[in-house]
Parts: sequence; C-alpha cells; structure tokens
Amino acid sequence: MKIQNLELVARSVVEGFVQGLHRSPYLGFSVDFAAYRQYMPGDEIRRIDWNVFSRSDKLYVKLYEGETNTRVLVLLDISGSMNYGSGEIKKIDYARIVAACLSYFAYHQRDGVGLLTFDTQIRSHVPAGRRRGQLLTILSEIDRIQPSELTEFRKPLRFLAEYLTRRGVIVLISDLYDEPENILAGLKVLRSKGNDIIVFHIMDNFELTFPFEDMAQFEDMETKRKLHVIPEYLRNQYLVILKDHMERLRKELSGTRIDYCLMDTSKPLDAGLFTYLAARSKSI
Amino acid sequence: MSFLNPFLLFGSLALAIPILIHLVRREKSEIIPFSSLMFLLKVPKRSIRQQKIKNLLLMALRLLILALLVGAFARPYLTQPAKPAGNATANRGVVLMLDNSYSMRYGNNFDRLKAEAQKRIDSMRAGDRMSIIAFNENATLLSRPTSDKNALKAMVDTLEPSFSGTRYYEAFTLADRALSEFGGDQKQLVVISDFQRNGWNRSSRESIIGTDVKTEAVNLAVQNPNNVGIDSVSVDQTSFTRTYTGRVIARIHNYRKDIPVDVQVSVALNDKEMGRKTLTVSANSSALAEFTGFDLQLGFSKGRVHIDSNDPLKVDDDFLFALERREKLKLLIVDAGKAKQSLYLRQAYTSSPDLPFEVSVLPASALTPEEVSNHEVVVINDVPRLPDKVRDRLDDLRKTGQGQLIILGENADAGWWNSYAKLPVKAGPRIFVAKDRGRPSVALTTYDRNHSIFKPFEKSTRVVLNSAQFFAYMNVEAKPGAVVLAKYEDGSPVIVESSKEDHGMLVFNSTIDSKWNDLPLKPSFLPLFHEMVRYLSRYNENRSWYALDEAIPVVAGLESVAAAVIDPKGGRQALGQLTAGQVKFFTPTIPGFHEFRVGPDTRLVAVNPPSSEGNLDTMPPEDLLASVQRTQGESQQAGLFGTEEKAEYARRQTIWWYLLFIALLAGIAEIYIANQSYKTS
Repeated sequence: MKIQNLELVARSVVEGFVQGLHRSPYLGFSVDFAAYRQYMPGDEIRRIDWNVFSRSDKLYVKLYEGETNTRVLVLLDISGSMNYGSGEIKKIDYARIVAACLSYFAYHQRDGVGLLTFDTQIRSHVPAGRRRGQLLTILSEIDRIQPSELTEFRKPLRFLAEYLTRRGVIVLISDLYDEPENILAGLKVLRSKGNDIIVFHIMDNFELTFPFEDMAQFEDMETKRKLHVIPEYLRNQYLVILKDHMERLRKELSGTRIDYCLMDTSKPLDAGLFTYLAARSKSI
Repeated sequence: MSFLNPFLLFGSLALAIPILIHLVRREKSEIIPFSSLMFLLKVPKRSIRQQKIKNLLLMALRLLILALLVGAFARPYLTQPAKPAGNATANRGVVLMLDNSYSMRYGNNFDRLKAEAQKRIDSMRAGDRMSIIAFNENATLLSRPTSDKNALKAMVDTLEPSFSGTRYYEAFTLADRALSEFGGDQKQLVVISDFQRNGWNRSSRESIIGTDVKTEAVNLAVQNPNNVGIDSVSVDQTSFTRTYTGRVIARIHNYRKDIPVDVQVSVALNDKEMGRKTLTVSANSSALAEFTGFDLQLGFSKGRVHIDSNDPLKVDDDFLFALERREKLKLLIVDAGKAKQSLYLRQAYTSSPDLPFEVSVLPASALTPEEVSNHEVVVINDVPRLPDKVRDRLDDLRKTGQGQLIILGENADAGWWNSYAKLPVKAGPRIFVAKDRGRPSVALTTYDRNHSIFKPFEKSTRVVLNSAQFFAYMNVEAKPGAVVLAKYEDGSPVIVESSKEDHGMLVFNSTIDSKWNDLPLKPSFLPLFHEMVRYLSRYNENRSWYALDEAIPVVAGLESVAAAVIDPKGGRQALGQLTAGQVKFFTPTIPGFHEFRVGPDTRLVAVNPPSSEGNLDTMPPEDLLASVQRTQGESQQAGLFGTEEKAEYARRQTIWWYLLFIALLAGIAEIYIANQSYKTS
C-alpha cells in the first residue's frame, strides 16, 4: 500500500469528525484561562500575574488550559499471526489502516503522534511529536512493516513503561495472541502511570467462526508448527476457548478502565472506528 | 482350515483400500496456514484422543466387516474333523513302510532302518495293529494287520536289503490299501527311508493317502554321502575274432559334491583280469575308462568291471556284462561265372577281417545242393537259372533258417525265373532308363524306413540311398503277399521280400556292377548289403547287459522249443514251450549272470542293479508326504465319502454362516458408533 493511499484512506475514514473531541489532560499555554497557582521557586517570572500581585501583594502564576499537546502513541503488533487473512484483507493490512487512521486523526487534532511496532521486541519506534512531516514518517513506517516473528507483550510493554515519562494516549492494535496475564501485566503498568489506553483487538472472521470443514494440517504462522485438525470435531472446543480468552480480556481491561474494541476484518473499518470514537466522545 | 474358493481371498486386498485412503489422505492432507494454534492446542487432549479412538474403532469395525465378508465368500472349512474326546485312547492302525532298496546298503543304513522299525513296534499299545510293507522298485506287504509284536519283530529281523531301485508311488498305493483295512482306527503311516530323489517321479499320479491318515517320516539319509559307482558299461557284445576289437567303456561317477577321487578300474573276463586303469573323477561328475584288445574264447564270456573305492556303498562298485565270440557267417555267392561279376559283392563282405562274413564264390554251373547246405546265407548274383535240385534244396533250407538274396539283372532268364513259383516277384522285360523312360537314370527314392535293412540310413544324413543312379533294371511286379521294401522313383520295385509264409528271401532288382547302376561306388552300398545279409541270417545283436527288473526278451527260432532260465544262484526257472518266433519276457529279480536256454541254444545275459540308486541325493520327506496325501477337496471330488462323511463335511463348511452373522453384528455396531460420533460432533 502506498503512503499516499494510506493517507487517503485515513483521511476518508476520519473525514467528518470534529476536531478537538477530547480535552487535553495537561494544562498548557493557551488563551483559555484555567486557574491561578501560587508562585513556586522555579516558575518562570514572566508567568506571574502582576495585576494580582498589585492587588494582593502575593505572587500568583496564571494557568491556561492546553488544547493540542496530548501525545498519542500507536502500538502496532507486527507478529506473524497478524499476516493471516481469510478474505481479501489480511489482519496486518487492516491494522495498518486502523493505525494510519488514528495517526491521521490525532495529528490533525494537533496531538503529538508516535508509532511503535513490536513482536517479541520493539522493531521500530517513531517518538510522538507534532513536527512537520511527522505524519508522513509514521505512515511511511506503517507501510514498511513486515510481520514475521512471534508475539510477546510482556517485554515490549515493560520497555514502554520504562521509556514513557509523559502520560498520553496509547493505542494498542493487535490480535492479542498471548496469554492474558502477559498482555494485562504490561498494560496495567502503563495504565497505572496515567496513560489512557485503547486496545483494538483485530481478528479475522475465520478466527472468530472457524468455518473449516475438511480435515487438514493447520500450520501456525508464527511457530510453523503443524497440527492435524478435523475441524468438525474441534470447532466447538476452539470457539469456547477463544470466547473465554476474549471475555477475560474484556473484563480485565474494563476493570482497569482500558477500552477494548474487537474489530472483525470482514467488517468495514470505519464502522469500528465510528463505534469506538463515538463511545470515546461520550465518555469525555 | 482351508477354503473352497481360495481365490476369493484375493478380495482381502480390499482391506488395504481404507487403510491406503487413510494414509494417502494423511500424507496429502492440505496444509492451511493459520494465525496461531494457541487455542487449538488448548483443546483438551482427551477429547481428541477419544475422537481418534472412535475413529480407529470405526475403521477397525469396517475392516473387520470386509474381512469377514471376504472370509465368508471364500467358504472356509475345517480340514480335520473335531476329534471326539475318546479318540486319544482309540486304537491305532499303523502301516510301516520300510525301504529296502539297494541304496539302503549304504553303511549301516539298513541296521538303522531295522532299529527304527523295532522302536515303532515297541511303541504299540494294546489294541494297536500294524502292517509292514517293504518297498524298493516294487512294494510287498510283509504282514497283514496284527497286534503280535513278536511276529512283527521277526518279520523286520528277516528283512534284507534288495538290489532294486526305489519307487515310492507303488509303495504308497499299497500302503493306502493296507490302511483301508484298519477301519475306524486312528490311521498312521510311518515311512522309514533314505528318501532318494530318484525314487519319486513327480509326474506320477499323486494324492494317494487319505486325509485322515497321520503321516510320519523317519529320514535315514546321510548328509553329503560318499559314493563312487559305475554308472554304465558300453560294450560291443559280439566279436567274430579271437582278439576283441570292440570297446568296453565304463562310465564311473563320483557322487561326492565336494572332492574329486582317484579310482582303480579293472575289467575281468571269466574272473581273469584283462586290464586295469586309474582314473581321477571330479566331484559330482563322470569319467570314462576304456578297454579293448584282449583275447576271447569262443562262446560267451562273463565280463566284470570293478572299481576299488572306499565308499560305504559296495553294490555299484561292480558291473557285469556278457561278451560273445561267434564264428563268422558263412556266405555263398553264386554268379553266372563271368569275370569280375561278383567283384563288388565279394569285396563288400571281405574288405575287413573284422567283418563277420566268411565268403565263398561259385558259378551256378558248379553248384550242388550239398554246397548250398553248408552256408547260412546264399546270394544268387544274376544267374540265368539254377539247377532244379539246387532250387528245391534252397526251398528246403529256407525253412530251416537259411537266407537267400536273389539278384535279377542282365543275365537272368526271365522265363525261367517266372517259372520259379517261390520267387516273390514276376519278372518282366528289362528297362533301360535312357531309352524307355526318356531320362538318363532313376534313383532309389522310396523305402520302408522301419525295416531293419535300412537301419544304417535312419539317422545318417551323409549315407543316403538316393545318391545311386540306376540305368537299367527288370520290370518286375511283386506277387501277392510279397512286401516291396524299396522302389525306384518311377514306382518299380527295387527290393522285395518274400511273404511271411515263405520267409527268408530278398530280391534285388538290378545288377551289382557298374553297368546297370553306380550303387557299388556309393557309400550306401556296403551298409545296405551288410544289413541285408545280417537280416537274412537272422543275426541278432544281443544286449550285453540288462538292468534288474527290466524285461528280457526270450525269442524262439523257427521251431517250437522249450525255454528256461538259470539264475545266478543256479535256480532253474522254466519259461514253458515257445512256438516258432514267439517272444516271452523274463524279469530278473537278482543281479548276476543268467543263462537263457532256448532249445539247444544257450545265451548268457548279465543283470545289474539299477545304477541310478548310486545317486543318493535326497528330497525333503515332508515334500514327498505332502504330495502323496490327498487334500480335502480332492477327496470330495473323488467321491470317496459316504453319507455320514458328507454330512460331516457339510458341518465343517458351515463356518461361513457364522462369519456372515459376525459381520452383521459388526455392521450394527459400526452404525451405532458412527451415529454416536456424529451426534457428538
């Protein structure tokens, strides 16, 4: 997929959304006054409101409500399993578009946007920023990714927890093929640091329904392990286990106020985004 | 257990089909890349295993159903009836087959045979009965079924090895008859033998012994036997000279398969050694020893070839043969008295001192009846006529065995010869081929190939009768009863034999010189005229030896005579009165020199044991027993069963019903399990 196309897709998906749907969690320097705070040593002297000083003989600094300085970091899972696709579109392509859309959306929200791709370790990292050409860099990086390895959440998320010093919005796009403990452990640390986390669970329709009929050897796209499977005998068991997995993730993530959104690659992308963003806007 | 339709068992190959499909599908099952097997691997193993077990069970059931159906259609049956409990103690009827062929003389084989036989007799229980058969080339029932152990043992003790060969077929045939006398007893056949391969002719009719007979083989064969024997001796039996100019050729065979042996071979006549040679005979092969040039006495001599070998089988170290030195055949040639008229004929019979002819030549004018009487064969070589007394005398002499050859040519007076009633042809005018037939010559093209005078031309391609050219001959016609033995290519007779009633005359229709033909210059001349004279003299070349159990012909001459045989032990066996020309056959039972006395004549015949017995190669006893014992199917085809037995066999064949029933049950089980499995899935 060309970057221009990716941008076009992202733009078309995001088109129509009102910018500034969310409020920055930081107080910054803008025209909208927020509150006064007593001067503390170290504050800039030019921030002191001299009118208040003249009236009350006390030093106060003015605080303004920041509007565009949220950092959005997109965590994109590029493990081998993401390369699966039963229909026209693979999960990784679907995830690319989701990541591109969110990046485009955030960039035009005047948020700082960053990208981090990972499998068993971090493969690429574009730090969140609002520089000129930042979006292009991210889209280029999204376009370049090639899934190949295993999935492991614990290691990349631990690194991220150590690396991120500023709070922001973290968007995790993955098929979440790892044990829930590993996924939740990392996410909970990030959440505890005040990050707002959104998890997009990308699943293929065949993964969700397991519609296979004939006996076949199923090959794990990550480990290359093969397994003789008679689908008619294993389907029910598989679906139960998958459902359990997703339910547990949903519950655990909800419990830590992490948003969870399942995205079926057979369904239109914008539908998922609309659903999510609508939910987000209501919550703000 | 056996099958009535065993070829249907090939249907069991169908069992491989589901398995093959399973394996092929397993090998070639599609590989589907899937994002992760994480959840599939979490499916409880028990569930998969159960499913596999169910599948395996289903497959096993389906295979079982197929196998049962195949088995049922192959119609199995029990080869042996279920033995009643009481059978273990039932009486046994045992037939003991004892090999007393001469190969059993090898070492102490015959003692071992007796010991084994005694052991079998000792193991008899009260109520058991036994028959004993001794067999070699022939089979003899030594004792009828009896429980008397002492009598049986005495029978075995007196048994001696024979000089005969081995023939199993006759022995088994007799054993089958003997077994049939045991009625409802448990039948048992014990064969004690060295199981020589020579004794079993695979083309013999097989399957002699019934299916209900328990067989046992006691194999006395020796591993890698050490034997050197005389295979055969080739002898020119008759000599007409004092010094034997023929050849005695002995073929010595080394039956050992591992090492060559050196043997001393000697030949003796009337127990006097005439020659000795040393031969090296390679392993498992033969070598020849040749002897000649020794003196012979008049009449028969007893010949013996002997080898000095250290092998345990002595019988084949000696080989007997008979030699005869005869007086030469007295032959009278009568001609017209012309110069060189009988030149070719005389030369034909006197060209070599080895020839058995003593020739006199006389002109017809000097011929007297007495002179004619002194000869065994008279050749009338193209004379115009014969004195009447001579002619009458010749007629008389033919009756006593004299042979006469009449040559009709340019000198013959056709009128006189036509007046001779005994002449087997009617003479006509002379034919000169060039003038009368319009061609330069004719050839002798047609002849009776079965007649003994043409024996030399049977196999030879070089010596042929049709190479001679005949330019002139008498236009003769065979009289009724006469036999035309040879014809010219235009159909005119060349050689005519007198009728059976007046046996002993041949007519040759051309001359024996170079005027009317060039026959005397051709290679066929000598053999033809030698054979004609031999035939007329009733000269028979006897064989110098016969094998034991081989029929020896005893032929009467022209008169009715009494015949008898004196065997090597001196026993006399009368063969009765033989009419003129009658042939009887005598079969010797012991080896050695036999004297055949036919009227005043005495002939010596040597009889040897069959040399094939010296070859001690064996065959597996179980193969032999398997080939002589009937199978169930054969018994049934032969219609050998009574009503009760038929019912028994019908019972034995009901297995297929059970197989079908089990297949039905398996089918029901398969349907149930398959349904359960489907519901679960």
